[in-house]
Amino acid sequence: MSEPHPRRAAVTGIGVVAPNGTSTEAFWKSTQEGISVLDRVTREGCEHLPLRVAGEVRAFEPAAAVEERYLVQTDRFTHFALAAADLALDDARLSQADTDDSPFSVGVVTAAGSGGGEFGQRELQQLWGKGSRFVGPYQSIAWFYAASTGQISIRRGFKGPCSVVAADEAGGLDALAHAARAVRRGTDVLVAGSTEAPLAPYSVVCQLGYQELSLADDPTRAYRPFTSSACGFVPAEGGAMLVVEEETAARERGARVRAVLAGHTATFTGASRWEESRAGLAEAIRGALDEAGCAPEEIDVVFADALGVPEADRAEALAIADGLGTHAKRVPVTAPKTGIGRGYCAAPVLDAAAAVLSMEHGLIPPTPNVFDICHDLDLVTGRARAAEVRTALVLSRGLMGSNSALVLRHGADHAS
Amino acid sequence: MSDRITVEELAELMKKAAGVTVAPAELQERYDSGFDAIGVDSLGLLGIVGELENRYGTPMPPDTERCKTPRQFLDLVNSALLAGA
Repeated sequence: MSEPHPRRAAVTGIGVVAPNGTSTEAFWKSTQEGISVLDRVTREGCEHLPLRVAGEVRAFEPAAAVEERYLVQTDRFTHFALAAADLALDDARLSQADTDDSPFSVGVVTAAGSGGGEFGQRELQQLWGKGSRFVGPYQSIAWFYAASTGQISIRRGFKGPCSVVAADEAGGLDALAHAARAVRRGTDVLVAGSTEAPLAPYSVVCQLGYQELSLADDPTRAYRPFTSSACGFVPAEGGAMLVVEEETAARERGARVRAVLAGHTATFTGASRWEESRAGLAEAIRGALDEAGCAPEEIDVVFADALGVPEADRAEALAIADGLGTHAKRVPVTAPKTGIGRGYCAAPVLDAAAAVLSMEHGLIPPTPNVFDICHDLDLVTGRARAAEVRTALVLSRGLMGSNSALVLRHGADHAS
Repeated sequence: MSDRITVEELAELMKKAAGVTVAPAELQERYDSGFDAIGVDSLGLLGIVGELENRYGTPMPPDTERCKTPRQFLDLVNSALLAGA
């Protein structure tokens, strides 16, 4: 028996805590203006490390965003997640009272690549400096990848399906896809996304082993994918949470359907095997289009992974060509993350947020600091480009070999 | 440091170890309330026990972190401190 109206996953709320803004409005203003906020690393204890440039979230006041117990019990990446979830739920006009009425119909899914490094470092210093009796019990949960999912659900009283995607940077897109699947399986609302805080000394030292990390010290030159001077990626903190809910129910309660999560596919091609990521990413693109019932020509913009490593950039440009065929020569491609850095799992979620905003504003944001493209791509540079954007493709790859593609459709196209 | 743990010290430990702020006078009034209702979860109570053990240099009874209320908790730790003194 086929359902007359299959359940579809709609985006009804967006909450952003990013290097270029701690609200969705501030994020979009800076993103569409092509402002780069990449800057010297100033975080305490990081000044002497070889990583010179990052995207720090400087405007965020944890004590203003979360209650004292979360300041003591959770890491900075969870503070970001709790704040972004609040913003997303407010944006979706889902109050605490609304969700208290049906707690089992609301779940949470997050992705995290680095966990709670700052909290973990503090407790490990206690361990080696004073002894095991001086390690606080919250260490057991605060640095864990799953912490943000658990703390969001505890703080808001959500009792629906909760999960964590551990799938590399591309896991950010996989978390959104997982939310869409949960909605299709019967859960009404998912709070989904990713936030990261990888700029504590311990976390930075862990990243120094990545050959793809940019150690350049000029913020305007440190992250320039798709150019002949590409020298790696700049890391960032922050992220975004989205409210994903069943489209019909969302419309019935009067929510604004901002976009539909239409298709997704994930593949794996091995750590730092960038040449091979071409086939994996192309397969992800084809799978996502297929699930969305979307022809290549319908894609109005591609938000690129844009790693900033020549071999990886070449593989991505070729994957777009493989996945979209002749349309690849015409479709505008952008990578606004060159202005804020690459926040691991959070990066593709911020791109998904920017894709929704791009569809709403009819404006494709540019790729800051990038000029003189050396690939066969129509990369949007300099200033935002006005365009009717009804369908967006977001791409992500992880350093450990995951590739994902997500197709989003503009919400207004799907009014019932 | 007194040889008895007071409500004031428990309130200070709750703030430090679990991030839960309750004024000593209020904690006195909620002497028989559950720690869960006050906002201190099991990990928070475990942290408070660890902090006390480090401060006083003596182990607390094995079930200290299972106490349900401030009264139970203070009775148990103070009897242990008295016995150890």
